[in-house]
Amino acid sequence: MEEIGFLGLGIMGKAMSMNLLSHGFKVTVWNRTLSRCDELVEHGATVGETPAAVIKKCKYTIAMLSDPAAALSVVFDKDGVLEQIGSGKNYIDMSTVDAETSSKISEAITSKGGCFLEAPVSGSKKPAEDGQLVILAAGEKALYDAALPVFDVLGKKSFFLGQVGNGAKMKLVVNMTMGSMMNAFSEGIVLADKSGLNPQILLDVLDLGAIANPMFKMKGPSMIQGNYPPAFPLKHQQKDMRLALALGDENSVAMPVAAASNEAFKKARSMGLGDLDFSAVHETVASGKGSS
Amino acid sequence: MVKILMVRASYNPNLYLSYAAPLSPQKAMSMCSSFFPVQFGAKPISCSPIKPQFCVQVAAFSSQESKDELPTRVGFLGLGIMGSPMAQNLIRAGCDVTVWNRTKSKCDPLISLGAKYKPSPEEVAASCDITFAMLADPESAVDVACGKQGAASGMSPGKGYVDVSTVDGPTSSLISARIQSTGALFLEAPVSGSKKPAEDGKLIFLTAGDKSLYETAAPYLDLMGKSRFYLGEVGNGAAMKLVVNMIMGSMMASFSEGLLLSEKVGLDPSILVEVISQGAISAPMYSMKGPSMVKSLYPTAFPLKHQQKDLRLALGLAESVSQPTPVTAAANELYKVAKSKGLSDDDFSAVIEALKAKLQ
Repeated sequence: MEEIGFLGLGIMGKAMSMNLLSHGFKVTVWNRTLSRCDELVEHGATVGETPAAVIKKCKYTIAMLSDPAAALSVVFDKDGVLEQIGSGKNYIDMSTVDAETSSKISEAITSKGGCFLEAPVSGSKKPAEDGQLVILAAGEKALYDAALPVFDVLGKKSFFLGQVGNGAKMKLVVNMTMGSMMNAFSEGIVLADKSGLNPQILLDVLDLGAIANPMFKMKGPSMIQGNYPPAFPLKHQQKDMRLALALGDENSVAMPVAAASNEAFKKARSMGLGDLDFSAVHETVASGKGSS
Repeated sequence: MVKILMVRASYNPNLYLSYAAPLSPQKAMSMCSSFFPVQFGAKPISCSPIKPQFCVQVAAFSSQESKDELPTRVGFLGLGIMGSPMAQNLIRAGCDVTVWNRTKSKCDPLISLGAKYKPSPEEVAASCDITFAMLADPESAVDVACGKQGAASGMSPGKGYVDVSTVDGPTSSLISARIQSTGALFLEAPVSGSKKPAEDGKLIFLTAGDKSLYETAAPYLDLMGKSRFYLGEVGNGAAMKLVVNMIMGSMMASFSEGLLLSEKVGLDPSILVEVISQGAISAPMYSMKGPSMVKSLYPTAFPLKHQQKDLRLALGLAESVSQPTPVTAAANELYKVAKSKGLSDDDFSAVIEALKAKLQ
C-alpha cells in the first residue's frame, strides 16, 4: 500500500500510527507539537512539517484530532489540508466531531476534487494500541473500500454507514450511552460504599450478570481506589455528551438521563478533572458536592 | 439446627445422599461403608430421597430435639415469574417441596411435577424445615411472612426462612425480627437475574443474615443459581440487590435514549445495537433486549413495575445515606412515565416508550 499520512499524535493518534508502522505501512506524521513525532520517527515514520506537506506527499491521509475546533483548524488554517488537497488525494477524518463540522470538512475537500471519508472510532487507548477499534465510517464508499486494509490493522470491525454525518452521529450516540452508563456506575459504587457494602463485591456481582461489560470491569477497580489514569479524557467525554445533546435538541428527542449525566461531567470539569480519565466523574458523586 | 453430612453411596459413586436420622454420630459412622464429608455448597447436589437398598446413611446430630426427619422438607411461597421456575428446579433435583401461592392455580404445574400443596404460608412453614419466599414487593413479602396465617406463625426453633424477594432494608429487618422471635433462623437472599436465569438455574444470590442458615441453604441455592454471596448482617443483601438494579435501570434508560436518538437522526438502531455489542459497553442485557426494543416489543422477563419499585427503593437507600443520585432520579422518572402509559406489566425495556411522543 501507498504511504499514509497521519495528522494528530495524541493518545489515539500515536497508538494508531505506531500500529500502522508495526504492520509495515510507510507513515508520514504531523503533530501540532512536533516533538511528539520523535517516537514515531524512531519507529520508522517520516515527519511532515505541516498538514499541507503531509497531504502533498501522501495519497491517503488520516486525521485524528481531539475536537471540532482542531479538526477544522487542520483543514482550513494556513498550511492546512486544503492548500494541497485535490484530485487523487484522499482524506479520512477519524476525529470525533459533530455532523455539521464533518459536513463542512467534507464539502471543502470534495469541492477541490479530493475524496473524503469520516471514520470516527469507538474505543480508547488500549483498543487503539491493540488494533481493536470499532470504525464508524461514512462518506465516499470507494474510499472506504480502498481504506479497508488500513482499517483492518487499526480495528476489529468497520461499518459503512452511508452519507457523511452518519458516522459522526453514530459515534456521538454510542458515547452518550457510555457517558450515562459511567454515571450510573459511579452512583452505584458510591451508594454501595455509603451503605456499608464492599464496592469490590459490587464489581464481582456486576461481572456475573446481565449488565457485565468491559468498561465496568476495566475501570471499576481503579475507580474504587480513586485512580483515573486517562484512557479517554473526561473533557472529551463531556464534549461528546454536549454534541449528543445538541443532536437531540435539533431533533426534539427527549434525553433526560443524558442531560443529568452531562451535568455531572460539567461539574467534574469545573473541579479540574478534565484531563483525567472520564471515570473521574465518580469524584463528583463520591464527594457529594454540587450534583443537583 | 440439624446438621447434615453428605456421604457418597458405596453403590453409586455419582450419587450423593442427604439424610437426617436420629442416630448418634458414633452409631452412624459405624454404619457407613464409605465416608466423604463434602463441603457444603462446593458443588450442586442432587437431593434424591433415600432408597431402602442403599445401606449408607448419614449421621445427623442435632443440637435441638431431633425429629423423625426424612430428607429436608423445603417450602416455597410465591410462584410468579421467578418462584415457579425456581421451585421447579428444586423439584426436578428430587427435593421434597411444598408450595403455596396466593392464586392457587399457579401451583398446579408444580403439583403435577410432584410438589405438595398447603393452603397457607403458615401451614407450609409448619410442615417444612426450610421455607423459601419469592414475593413481588415489600408489601407482599411482609404479608406472607408476618400476616394472618403467615409463615412466621408456622415457624419454630430448628426451622429456617429464606426470603429471596427484593425488598428494602427496613422491610427485611422487620421480617427478620418476626421470624427470629419464633426461634427460627432468617436469611435474606434476593437474586440478580430474571426469568431465563431462573429457568436455567443461573441466578446470583445476594444473601445476608444467619450464617448457619446460609450454609444449610447453600445446596438449594446451588440448585437454583450459579453463584452466591454472603454479605453479613440483614440489610446488606437487600442493599446490594438495590444497587445492582439501580445501575441496571439507569443503563436501560440510557440505552433507550441512544436507540431513540439514533432512529430520530436517520440511523438504523439495529446497527447501533451491533456497534455497542462490539465495544467497551457491550453488555448481555443490550444484546438480548436491543433487537426486540427496536421492534417495539417488550416480552416480560422483568416487569417494568418491579424495576421502578427497585429504583424507588434505591433512591430511598441513597436518601438514607444523604447521597445525591441525579442520574438514577432522572431514570426513575422515565419508568414512572412508562407506568402511567400502562406499561407496568411489560418488560422493563418498555421504558423506551416513555421517551416517545406517543405509544408505538
